[in-house]
Amino acid sequence: MANMAAAQSDEHIPGEAGVWVFILGDMVVFALLFGAFVYYRAADVPLFASAQLSLNQSLGALNTLLLLTSSWFVVHGVEAVRARRAALARGMLAAAFACGVGFMLVKYFEYGEKLRAGFTITSNDFFMYYYLLTGIHLLHVTIGMAVLAYLWQRLRSANDIDAQLSAVESGASFWHMVDILWILLFALVYMMR
Amino acid sequence: MNTKNQLWCTWSGIAFAILFTVGFWPISHFMPPPSPTMSAAEVAGMYSANTNQIRFGLLVMMGASGLILPFTAAIAAQMKRMEDAPSILTYLQLASGTLGAVFFIVPCVLWSVAAFRPERAPDLIHLMNDAGWMLFLMPFTTFIVQNFAIGIAVLGDKSAQPVFPRWLGFFNFWVAVLFVPGGLLTFFKTGPFAWNGLMAFWVPFVVFFTWYIVMFVFMRKGILAQAAGRPA
Repeated sequence: MANMAAAQSDEHIPGEAGVWVFILGDMVVFALLFGAFVYYRAADVPLFASAQLSLNQSLGALNTLLLLTSSWFVVHGVEAVRARRAALARGMLAAAFACGVGFMLVKYFEYGEKLRAGFTITSNDFFMYYYLLTGIHLLHVTIGMAVLAYLWQRLRSANDIDAQLSAVESGASFWHMVDILWILLFALVYMMR
Repeated sequence: MNTKNQLWCTWSGIAFAILFTVGFWPISHFMPPPSPTMSAAEVAGMYSANTNQIRFGLLVMMGASGLILPFTAAIAAQMKRMEDAPSILTYLQLASGTLGAVFFIVPCVLWSVAAFRPERAPDLIHLMNDAGWMLFLMPFTTFIVQNFAIGIAVLGDKSAQPVFPRWLGFFNFWVAVLFVPGGLLTFFKTGPFAWNGLMAFWVPFVVFFTWYIVMFVFMRKGILAQAAGRPA
């Protein structure tokens, strides 16, 4: 791959430079969304604070743990590719993918709990942001899992593992972004008093 | 090779962006968009107060929207250089870009219907105004297909001297993501996801025209390189 030379220079950017256009751009979008949340929260703090009490912080914390663990696996997956251990790398990516599945299951139960309690996207402003922010984030988790599966497949069929490093680093960078955004989202929506 | 025609088609994208904005903003005064919370009487009042200005602005916007087509064709011509036969992403981009123009032209006609008989029942004007804004800002699907077709083709360009830089592919994916929130305007009349809000209007509007400028710069570069027989 043409960008391998760049990937091994002294000023190392993980993955190919272009993927950072997407990652930084996506973080700008979330910054706008978080900004909108904080802005509208400031306009009606009592509503947001009381609605927040009906969120399940344990499930939110469990999801934080799952994503942090998945990032740990992804880091070790990248290390394994650097050490040319394809089987180990695939195992690490599969474990990260499994954490993603766990995240989705937790979200499924969490949404179910909220909907049964009668909280929908139109209940009030807090729940509008709750569903939209977590929903848009969940979409990113889904995209990230598709990327992990794609990398897993690439590592299985590739003859030259060194040539996979740039793609694996790019995908890993995206996955870490999904993780970081969740931590911010968890702090803002579930925890901020 | 039709270098001249390709350049004309590429410049037409810039002409579209300028003319559409002029019709939309200073002539029709559709910027900022009228709030979805406005009553039927208020909306009818808006159309009867500026009837001819709105009619003329919409005419300019509708005329400008035809220029999306040559720009789309120019993108296709450059994409075809990236792809092996059968160049399916090129066809997909051409189809989705063409369909996208419909969501600029038809809303102009719907708003024109509202401005055609401003004296009719306010409820009907209200309805037509809603229909225009929702048709204008809600259908993100064709734009996402177009951006993904371009992005995938750029990343798939394995030649030693690619037509477009690889980051432009990721840029197209990012633009696609920013159009998604528009689909949510069906739920809201206030806040960032309403049709006059940050995520449904302001961000997509700015990003859409930024995309035109960025694509223009790299298409022009690619066409000139192609004409000179050298890599972009």
